[in-house]
Amino acid sequence: MTQRLHLPPLALYVHIPWCVRKCPYCDFNSHQAGQTLPEAEYRAALRADLESDRILAQGRPLTSIFFGGGTPSLFSAATIAGILEDAEELIGFTPDIEITLEANPGTFEQERFRAYRAAGVNRLSIGIQSFDPQKLARLGRIHGGEEALSAVGVARRAGFDNLNLDLMHGLPDQDTRGARADLQQALDLGPEHVSWYQLTIEPNTAFYNAPPVLPEENSLADIQASGESLLAEAGYAQYEVSAYARPGRQARHNLNYWRYGDYLGVGAGAHGKITLPEQAQILRLWKTRLPKHYLEKGKPSAGVTEHSNPFMAGQEFMEPQARPLDFLLNALRLNEGVTAEIFRERTGLGMDALEPQWSELRTLGLVGSDNSRLTTTALGRRFLNDVLGRYS
Amino acid sequence: MTDLSHIRNFSIIAHIDHGKSTIADRFIRLCGGLSDREMSEQVLDSMDLERERGITIKAQSVTLHYKARDGKTYQLNFIDTPGHVDFSYEVSRSLSACEGALLVVDAGQGVEAQSVANCYTAIEQGLEVIPVLNKMDLPQAEPERVAQEIEDIIGIEAMDAVRCSAKSGEGIEDVLEELVRLVPPPEGDVDAPLQALIIDSWFDKYMGVVSLVRVRQGRLCVKDKIITKSIGKAHVVDSVGVFSPKLTKLKELKAGEVGFVIAGVKEILGAPVGDTLTHVHTPDVPAVPGFKKVKPQVYAGMFPVDGDDFENFRDALSKLTLNDASLFYEPESSDALGFGFRCGFLGMLHMEIIQERLEREYDLDLITTAPTVVYEVVTSQGETIYVDNPSSLPDPGMIEEMREPIVEANILVPHEHVGAVITLCSERRGMQKDMQYTGSQVSLRYDLPMNEVVLDFFDRLKSASRGFASLDYSFDRFEPARLVRLDVLINGEKVDALALIVHRDQSHQIGRSLVEKMKELIPRQMFDVAIQAAIGGQIVARSTVKALRKNVTAKCYGGDASRKKKLLEKQKAGKKRMKQVGRVDIPQEAFLAVLKVDT
Repeated sequence: MTQRLHLPPLALYVHIPWCVRKCPYCDFNSHQAGQTLPEAEYRAALRADLESDRILAQGRPLTSIFFGGGTPSLFSAATIAGILEDAEELIGFTPDIEITLEANPGTFEQERFRAYRAAGVNRLSIGIQSFDPQKLARLGRIHGGEEALSAVGVARRAGFDNLNLDLMHGLPDQDTRGARADLQQALDLGPEHVSWYQLTIEPNTAFYNAPPVLPEENSLADIQASGESLLAEAGYAQYEVSAYARPGRQARHNLNYWRYGDYLGVGAGAHGKITLPEQAQILRLWKTRLPKHYLEKGKPSAGVTEHSNPFMAGQEFMEPQARPLDFLLNALRLNEGVTAEIFRERTGLGMDALEPQWSELRTLGLVGSDNSRLTTTALGRRFLNDVLGRYS
Repeated sequence: MTDLSHIRNFSIIAHIDHGKSTIADRFIRLCGGLSDREMSEQVLDSMDLERERGITIKAQSVTLHYKARDGKTYQLNFIDTPGHVDFSYEVSRSLSACEGALLVVDAGQGVEAQSVANCYTAIEQGLEVIPVLNKMDLPQAEPERVAQEIEDIIGIEAMDAVRCSAKSGEGIEDVLEELVRLVPPPEGDVDAPLQALIIDSWFDKYMGVVSLVRVRQGRLCVKDKIITKSIGKAHVVDSVGVFSPKLTKLKELKAGEVGFVIAGVKEILGAPVGDTLTHVHTPDVPAVPGFKKVKPQVYAGMFPVDGDDFENFRDALSKLTLNDASLFYEPESSDALGFGFRCGFLGMLHMEIIQERLEREYDLDLITTAPTVVYEVVTSQGETIYVDNPSSLPDPGMIEEMREPIVEANILVPHEHVGAVITLCSERRGMQKDMQYTGSQVSLRYDLPMNEVVLDFFDRLKSASRGFASLDYSFDRFEPARLVRLDVLINGEKVDALALIVHRDQSHQIGRSLVEKMKELIPRQMFDVAIQAAIGGQIVARSTVKALRKNVTAKCYGGDASRKKKLLEKQKAGKKRMKQVGRVDIPQEAFLAVLKVDT
């Protein structure tokens, strides 16, 4: 049974595709930067991209913006400010908009924190990864342990009252003690939010071609369990597979992804997801991946119009039969899951579309028994890939 | 009466690797059947599987025209034969269409047991057997010794056997000359009512059923109305012809000739192999004595991983049985695996090939259970039943006596490996019946339980003899034996599809090895998986697959859903060829674990 789709809240993702150096574990769309970055050209292209996508906003203001990369902190505060001005002008902001920027904790970037804050960024996500110099070297990071420690203080003094620290575990030669010590250092710095995630080896990375020796599965599970309790004791509640926050400090931008909200994606290789109630469709679309090509499309001669986006590399309509997986893939990552109402409104499907798998999963004790919520049990969270496997 | 004196119908008997396909290729080249450009390597092994495995499974035929040294042109009809022990049945089929056979022996290696058996079949069917010594180009060729061996073991004259090298082409013409000189031409009255034997039938997507026939008497023309003796439904002949080796249409096939018939037969069972074709108006023509139908020796359950594939599976099996009459199947239902088929095979290679064909040609994803032989069981009511499925074995209390099939096995092995082969045979509960020294090989005759032979004996024999021993066997009798059913329990539940029938003396040992092997083969899951082996309710072995602690992708870039979907697809591909029994995912290999345990 299908019903009318409701328009969910709208977020904006901005991709900055450059890094000083590519990390061996990273499979994101990032490229080694040259001597100078074409900041002005890229900002112009982003504006053109956003203008073309404007129609997809369908009148909604932005509830959050996320600058991801790559390394967005390679861009000057002036450029970031310019991009935000464009977004506010073209789409508009809700009064309490959350604006996050991913930053590298290097000394060079720390000097810019104050200017980012002044430009309107109100949440900083710092890619610490580890405080252990040896581990940082192994991960190919360009910052050191000292810089990792000082970054939080600098951000506080710059006026940020909402910080996330990205931290990895399950690193080569890491045992439970080492992982706990790393995590404890992060918690001692008192961030509002921690993304604590396990290192995994992805295709098309340097680690994939020359894999490091990772801790064996039992140690990984021990690290996971031990870290979770450490976080809980320190007052950080897990609300998603790898996300932990103090009360009221959950990442709103990410929550929107996980709750199957809409988002525009601008920049090289950015993905967007848009609900089109009139056509009863859900659209996923993505942009040209290589920065060079992306910039070329942004030149005025490329002829940007309102109705077709020249930056687009592909699009796919989520047909009703593809929607249960598309939805659950995100929603079940949340500890609290989502309400049945959100499922119905944002997929246009009835709960029966989840059957017979949902009942089977319930029998196996992997999903919750409350009919008004879609949620996994503690066991189901640990085996989320098996749960989702039923819908793929 | 038409002159048939220029026709020669023949087969080639040869062990795998002894060069049959290469010789056939030489014949085709010499007779101009194909230009060099068209000549792809080993034309006759046309099924993909045959080429990959380098063996011939199905009979095929080629008609060639050879201008002999006597100045006359002869029509040579070559009917190919399979060379593996599993397919001896197909050999007798091909031979029934011939008046002669070439026995091709590797001049370096000597006679192999399978060729001996096929030679006897040919001689019994009244064929002229012509020995040919191949691979004369090799430095280790010893034609004198091998000729002596042929005389000693098979008992036909071989001192003057033609020597040739299919690889270099040397002596190939001499082989054809001997063929023309020694193989008698076919007999048969062209004016008598039509009588044709169906040697083979296969299903072609575009033409329907194609049958290979040997015309015994009369003529078979386009537009004729024909029937098969066993079915009696009339069909009009669309086309007849020969493979030269390209499909070549003719106006008619006459007595003595071999060729194909296409008669718009759409249904699979329209042209059964071994049946006799005649015209609608001469239904009383006697049936040609066919060839003996062999019974399958090995039975296994086959189940589609996806239950929705059941009907496709049935359809595929019915198509396969059209030209593989030795494949037997009947519906089976298993508590653990759902609906499938109990299938009977000639041997393990046959089973593997059928499974591969079903998966490749019909795109089915199947689980095959452990193969078993047929046991004879006398119940306490005095009834005799045959059991081809361990799960259908009656309760021990209902069994008066169990008997296992015994085969007579003939093994040829070079002197230096005879010790290892004797050790292997006694490990497999064999009884030595005879041992003869002939030339450089020893001829051994053993009585062996079929159960010990069909599963992996051939492979073990090959490794015990560095590949030199050869084997032929046939069912001899049932003999009382102390047998028990070994049950396997997964998480406390008996899984019918995993049960085995084993000898009591080996049962505990097999049980222990089996649960250990299955522990390696069953992947770790969300919970512990307990594997137990039990005999009559008593647990004899146990192992545990420890639970995984988690399976969740840590970091996800929120915006791009396609990455996560790819990951799940990869996970799904990994679960192909796994069947869920209860809550446990069991992969195909675990169902066949018994084949991998050392006993």
